[in-house]
Amino acid sequence: MTPPAATALARTDPLEQAPLIVGTPTDRVINDELLDHVWNPRRGWRILFLLALGGTGLLALGVGVTFARGIGMWGNNIPVGWAYDIINFVWWIGIGHAGTLISAILLLFQQKWRTSINRFAEAMTLFAVMQAGLFPLIHLGRPWFFFWLFPYPATLGVWPNFKSPLMWDVFAVSTYFTVSLLFWYLGLIPDLAALRDSSKSKAQRIAYGIFSLGWRGSAQHWQHYRIGYLLLAGLSTPLVLSVHSIVSFDFAVSQLPGWHSTIFPPYFVAGAVFSGFAMVMTLMIPARKLLGFERVVTERHLENMSKVMLATGLMVAYGYLMEHFMAWYSGNPYEAFVFLNRREGPYRAVYFLMLFCNVVVPQTLWWRKARTNVAWLWIASILVNVGMWTERFIIIVTSLHRDYLPSSWGMYYPTWVDWSIFIGTISFFGLLFLLFLRFVPAVAVTEVKELRHELAHAGAHAGAEEGGH
Amino acid sequence: LSARAWVLAEYRDEQELYAAARRLRQEGYRSVDLYSPYPLQGSDEALGLRRSRVPLIALLGGIAGIASAILMQWWMNAVDYPINVGNRTLIPYPAMVPVTFELGVLLSALAIFFGILGLCGYPRTWHPVFEVEAFRSAAVDALWLGAEVKAEEAEGVAEELRRLGAAQVATAREDA
Repeated sequence: MTPPAATALARTDPLEQAPLIVGTPTDRVINDELLDHVWNPRRGWRILFLLALGGTGLLALGVGVTFARGIGMWGNNIPVGWAYDIINFVWWIGIGHAGTLISAILLLFQQKWRTSINRFAEAMTLFAVMQAGLFPLIHLGRPWFFFWLFPYPATLGVWPNFKSPLMWDVFAVSTYFTVSLLFWYLGLIPDLAALRDSSKSKAQRIAYGIFSLGWRGSAQHWQHYRIGYLLLAGLSTPLVLSVHSIVSFDFAVSQLPGWHSTIFPPYFVAGAVFSGFAMVMTLMIPARKLLGFERVVTERHLENMSKVMLATGLMVAYGYLMEHFMAWYSGNPYEAFVFLNRREGPYRAVYFLMLFCNVVVPQTLWWRKARTNVAWLWIASILVNVGMWTERFIIIVTSLHRDYLPSSWGMYYPTWVDWSIFIGTISFFGLLFLLFLRFVPAVAVTEVKELRHELAHAGAHAGAEEGGH
Repeated sequence: LSARAWVLAEYRDEQELYAAARRLRQEGYRSVDLYSPYPLQGSDEALGLRRSRVPLIALLGGIAGIASAILMQWWMNAVDYPINVGNRTLIPYPAMVPVTFELGVLLSALAIFFGILGLCGYPRTWHPVFEVEAFRSAAVDALWLGAEVKAEEAEGVAEELRRLGAAQVATAREDA
């Protein structure tokens, strides 16, 4: 059960890549190792769970106060009518994007390294989208009428306005959540069957038997499954690009300087993938240690993820640069003022924190030493998460707080309710994630077995220099 | 109707598994199936499976989503409750794209998921093959062949599978 020592990962030839699976384990070993965290809960799980539960209490408190006293308890007011609710919504939705990218786009590109991290990232997507969905709902003022968002035959005789980007958002986010859930669950079915068939007690066997829907691993079923999974991946790929594009329309379709920009959709998608990979890294680095996944989540996975972070970080940096260029090149004084105000206005500290986290920190990933230094990767990924949150703060708050007329200028400060809801969603996200790590295989066991099978075949064909396996 | 039996045989080698499946099918046994913890490359060919209908179902779902989205937006915003915004057109095609796309993806994804479940007959938490305790390894690390045969043929088929290199053979019988 003990993973091979880290020294086994040391490479003599710098051009030779670290392996995707360390050693040559059998399917049984993979099965036992990757499911072990379900059968034998890790020490510390309970403490983390209680912490997350306490934090979720903050969410309940914040939401309770909001419902009881109204959204006046939040810091947003004219001119800053949108603040933490939308900042956090966009931030959480963006985090979700890496999950779909890893599970769908990398699957279509046949990137074998996705196998060990896709389940993990998909779960992250699901839980992040749940947090995101909460914010627009509690910002409704009368959240118990949330169903007015959907087109249903109301006695009022009114239908929603489909020309509004906010309406597109409703469809995009609910579709995204549903498709992510289906994709995640479909991938999970064979793994739940593996859990059912390695369970020791009758209760576990029945529970996992129900959730695996009775999966038998029949070749006829695999045939439908394989093509269906591939098609879902094919659908998820444009979906993930569309979701953050539509989120960016909430801003880009309005006529506010700083928002009204054609660069928004790609800039938002790149930022989403950037923050999502950072979040996968933030969660994966401690989890692989804690759950003993070092055999299948190797240095190579972390290095590849940091390369994606570097690439998307550069796209985001290009977005910042282009925004400033367009502000100057357009000759529009209002547009130019927004960007001058970001650099020199009252929120400049947040702006420079954003530049540091999103532009400076990822540049360290040009060096292999940084990409293979797990501690640094963890710190960098947290800084990127902070940076992407401040980016949304800057886009939303600085664009709103200086209206066209100086008489309508104002400042935005979050209240304790804003903070408690924000921290509460982080805790709730953690709570859901801990439950996931406790009851569900966190690595796609079936796919790792398939990968091992493929690698073994490839190795056998390539010749016997590696021991003929 | 005579009672049926499920003869299960574990194989250590993938090629032997396929050879055994082909052999049984040549002898006229129709209900031969293979069980594995992950999809196998050669199983479709060994069992002579026809192409899956899941892509067709996905396409139909997608078309249904796109059509219903266009109809919905047109009827709700242009016919039943026209919203006049600065005298702009009631049918703005570009503005209809996001919802149309999302609904197409949504219905197609639902069709794929429930299509797979429907074609495979899930949820079905019990199956005769689960009566064989050793068969649990099919979801963990073993390759199994299963043949649904008449109860009186079970002995012969089991013998044949053993001869074709099975590591172990077990039979689940219908109680009837």
